Amino acid sequence: MRPGGEPLLAVRDLTVRFRTEDGPVLAVDGASFEVAGQETVALVGESGCGKSVTAMALTGLLPPNATVSGEVRFGGDNLQQRSRSALRAIRGREIAYVFQEPMTSLNPVLTIGRQIAEVLHRHQRLRGAPARRRAVELLDLVGIPLPARRLREYPHQLSGGMRQRAMIAMALACTPKLLVADEPTTALDVTVQAGILDVLRTLSAETGTAVLLITHDLGVVADIADRVVVMYAGRVIEEADVDDLFARPGHPYTRGLLDAVPNPARRSDGSLREIPGRVPVLASSPDACTFADRCSRADSTCRVHRPELVPGPAGHPVRCWHPLAPVVAGERR
Amino acid sequence: MTTVVELPTPTVVAPRSRRRALRRVLRNPLAAAGLVVVVVVLAAAALADLLAPYPFDLVDFDATLQPPSLAHWFGTDELGRDQLSRVLHGLRVSMIVGVMSVVLSLVVGVPLGLLAGFYRLLDPVISRLTDTLLAFPFLVLAVGLAAILGPSLTTATVALAVGLLPLIIRVARSETLRLREMDFVAAAVADGADDLELLRRHILPNAVNALLVQATVAVPLAIIGEAILSFLGLGVRPPIPSLGVMIASAQPLFRDGPWLAVIPGVAIVVLTLALNLFGDGLRDALDPRELRR
Repeated sequence: MRPGGEPLLAVRDLTVRFRTEDGPVLAVDGASFEVAGQETVALVGESGCGKSVTAMALTGLLPPNATVSGEVRFGGDNLQQRSRSALRAIRGREIAYVFQEPMTSLNPVLTIGRQIAEVLHRHQRLRGAPARRRAVELLDLVGIPLPARRLREYPHQLSGGMRQRAMIAMALACTPKLLVADEPTTALDVTVQAGILDVLRTLSAETGTAVLLITHDLGVVADIADRVVVMYAGRVIEEADVDDLFARPGHPYTRGLLDAVPNPARRSDGSLREIPGRVPVLASSPDACTFADRCSRADSTCRVHRPELVPGPAGHPVRCWHPLAPVVAGERR
Repeated sequence: MTTVVELPTPTVVAPRSRRRALRRVLRNPLAAAGLVVVVVVLAAAALADLLAPYPFDLVDFDATLQPPSLAHWFGTDELGRDQLSRVLHGLRVSMIVGVMSVVLSLVVGVPLGLLAGFYRLLDPVISRLTDTLLAFPFLVLAVGLAAILGPSLTTATVALAVGLLPLIIRVARSETLRLREMDFVAAAVADGADDLELLRRHILPNAVNALLVQATVAVPLAIIGEAILSFLGLGVRPPIPSLGVMIASAQPLFRDGPWLAVIPGVAIVVLTLALNLFGDGLRDALDPRELRR
């Protein structure tokens, strides 16, 4: 979707099904999106929309009861066809992950330094003094004060924000081309969150790492993303540059998400607008708009025909039969 | 042999807190007493050659079946051998067999438990093996082994190790099942760690506390087991003194020299009690629910 060459990551028609005790569940339904080098793309949606599953599917991290189809092209390679050991070599080195729970994502019995050293040794065969130097450098990069001392400390001696910084340092250890950050700030309080976002923002500038940011927090998106991919019930429903999306949302769901963000500046009646209902759990891909049941604009077409992701009135792709016209977004009800 | 200890499923305890845990053990008077006794016995067993007033096999027909006295604190047996010297050497045998059999079952059982907990396909195989071992009376197993290998210290150690195996496998397996789902394991996978690394670096180190507690419980079981085997003539053979051997050979003399059976018996009770008290204290001290108090 961006001009110039092949993107770093190109996901085509990614579909993920889970076999569960309650029958099959379709978690991701033909998702397609791209991430260019050095770009920060936000994958947005509410809980259960398939955004985390999409991220895990990139390098085959899903449990065995998942069936994945489609294509994940990374640097020209189709990862879906790579062997388990080839994927293992890519994880952490080319595509690194940062997860939501900094409190539990670090091994409690190993020092921070040891854990960073593990990653360096695993992928770069770096040991001893050079590994230590690199670890200090990494902690410094993510803004941890007194890095040399922190290396000798155990995770429980660090605060949540410091642990998340350490997680990011580990993820950056091998200068990956893509950093997948799955709700990296959700478990942290707001001031700490701002610090972590700062780190992520400067990071792409300093190291040239592309970031795929998975979040439900549009505040975070506005803060650091270049481009936004909105997911709903396993489908990509809208994709746009961040300013474009905030100014001219095309999908009623995106609009709903934006309206649900607390915004002191437009607190005219003091209340937040919410989207009625919740994300459906689907067994198969319906020939309909998956948002129709919660949408005020839905009509009979929406319930029997599947909308495609096509350029909408605002110019960017929207999966909706009745996309919002750009002017509508400017009005206040 | 089939006692499975109720473990407190500690979430995760960092190593720094292990030193603190030892301090907490010492604050519990019973556990501290247990530790002191264990340390004293270990020292006595290790230094038996120096501490024993007589060689353990020195026969003295001028002083047979003497009750405890200043010359012979624990009395003498029907051959005039000094019982104190024999108890000291017996404790050494007990500690060696007790510790070695637990070490052996840890060496075999921990990898099996890790594999059973980590690989769903291997779990039924290993778990059924464990159940089979549990169902098999430990003594029958030991008698069988002794019949094949001949009674000896090694036989007793191997038989006890096999008997303890289910205890170790179960704890290692359940810890692995629990730890496998932890976020830091998922994070390590996402960092490209392979299975061996996950087991060695992330799962095993976090399972150490639970295994440590289980081992402190297994040692007294093994010591009692050794006494039983030796009593039955399946373990250590005379003239090497083991506490079980001493009780067995005191049996026909019980009327004339009750101290011959009572003193080794008391030694077994004191040692196993001390080990159990220490083990309980250790379990409580490593329990994260206690940490918050």
